Amino acid sequence: MRNVTVRILKPGLQTTVQAGPRTGQRHLGVPASGAADPLSLALANRLVGNALLAPALETTLTGVSVRFERDGFAAVTGARAKVWLNGERVKRHRTLFAAEGDELEIGPAKAGARNYLAFAGGVDVDEVLDSASTYLPAGFGGFRGRALRAGDVLAVAPVEEAPERLKTPKDFRPPAGSSWALRACYGAEVDLLDKESRFDLFDTNFSVGRRADRMGLQLEGARFAVKSGGRLASAPVFPGTIQCPEDGRPFLLSIDAQTIGGYPRVAQVARADRHLIGQLRPGDHVRLLWRDIDSAREELLAKHVYWREWLPDISTII
Amino acid sequence: MPSSDDSAALTPPVFPCGDDLVAAECADTRSAQALADHLRESGQWLECVAGIASCVARFDLATISPADAGERMLSALRTVPAALEAGKDVVEVPVCYGGDHGPDLDDVCALLGMDRDTFIERHTGEAYRVDMLGFTPGFAFIGGFDAAREVPRRPEPRVRLQPGSIGIAGGRTGIYTLPGPGGWQIVGRTPMRLFDAGAEQPFRLRAGMLVRFVAIGEEEFAAECAT
Repeated sequence: MRNVTVRILKPGLQTTVQAGPRTGQRHLGVPASGAADPLSLALANRLVGNALLAPALETTLTGVSVRFERDGFAAVTGARAKVWLNGERVKRHRTLFAAEGDELEIGPAKAGARNYLAFAGGVDVDEVLDSASTYLPAGFGGFRGRALRAGDVLAVAPVEEAPERLKTPKDFRPPAGSSWALRACYGAEVDLLDKESRFDLFDTNFSVGRRADRMGLQLEGARFAVKSGGRLASAPVFPGTIQCPEDGRPFLLSIDAQTIGGYPRVAQVARADRHLIGQLRPGDHVRLLWRDIDSAREELLAKHVYWREWLPDISTII
Repeated sequence: MPSSDDSAALTPPVFPCGDDLVAAECADTRSAQALADHLRESGQWLECVAGIASCVARFDLATISPADAGERMLSALRTVPAALEAGKDVVEVPVCYGGDHGPDLDDVCALLGMDRDTFIERHTGEAYRVDMLGFTPGFAFIGGFDAAREVPRRPEPRVRLQPGSIGIAGGRTGIYTLPGPGGWQIVGRTPMRLFDAGAEQPFRLRAGMLVRFVAIGEEEFAAECAT
């Protein structure tokens, strides 16, 4: 097949090329980046026959529209949103064929925050620091290190043959709603919370604040008394770390989070549920469910067993 | 009511930071760095990151249990070689102090009760060790500027710093490698490019290196930027 190119018509609020995370470089200050919801990225890539973490488009809240400059195959997964091909409604979670000149549009997310638009072959961009993913704060990776703009033309890597036409089985379509439960373990400085705050942390209906991006999200609904005196030695933080600064308002770090932080780390979202962070949007409700670290592991392994049926490499995704 | 006693195997100085994160307390930045390097060399961990007084490693929870990870961390603590002395090579970092490049220089001088020239003389007077890279790609935490131990961060972070900005806080010098917000007191700026994602060697500085600041004038700064 000939190389496919895709032209961005409407870029939406923030559409970037995202693939797998950068790993093993946090000691150099290099954050993970990559798909904020890697499970949805994998589901999209699965439908077009790509490696599960092949580079694809990640939209934010408002969707995107693109025109195929050559025939190609695509798939859409992630947030709840309408999708149109040349103005006709098409479904998410299946392999779509687009002919030369066809326009594919993803509408605004009605629940969840991010959609993934994968093309058979994967978006063809260079790797920077071992990943194709865009890291916006430093302007590297992805397409010229930036969010996509109208008129950008993306190359898609060639494929040997057309992908099999697939639908994601119903049991493997993560539902996007407005209430989320995140399993979480205690963080390193949980003891800086008084006993009551420690209890409340796992018994509060949080709502996601207006500050919610790929760096992290403000959790609102309760304030917690922290006894750090503002003088904590800077320590490593990771996606999923919940920090509680002196103002008492917890902040949940996401995929682009910095590598070092100076605020008490009160909790850590369990690995099994970190992919959900990428779908949280302002106003969503969030509960933290306390787990001891051994139960968190059992539940991760159980989740892997469940997903392996559709995504054999699930343990490389979540 | 959850208990904070997650696992008997993880007792201080080793403790969990989450389901797939295990931490060790360290005496100082140098030993944290030595431990992180030692862990990284073993190839058993996904990330090994040193903080100011601790080291955190992320492991593959799918194949390693938290208790095993704790054991591995404890055994690494027993076998970690003594922190290496910094190398003798000193990287000279040119700095244009004050003015638009260092808007907080006068405030810092007032805080320390010294004039500009004295400050610059002190800051350029000895070689300092890069304690760690972190926060954002290539941001260097450089220790040992004891004269500025009492200098706090700015109460309100600046919204947009230029890359190369040199900040002071709590006895450390920090070099910002990216444009963006920052809370350190900015005393100057270097024209040297310390992080370049596209370069073969993206990071000019590494933890453990020695750095000496060299004062340059406005003209030299402009000339260096042009090259």
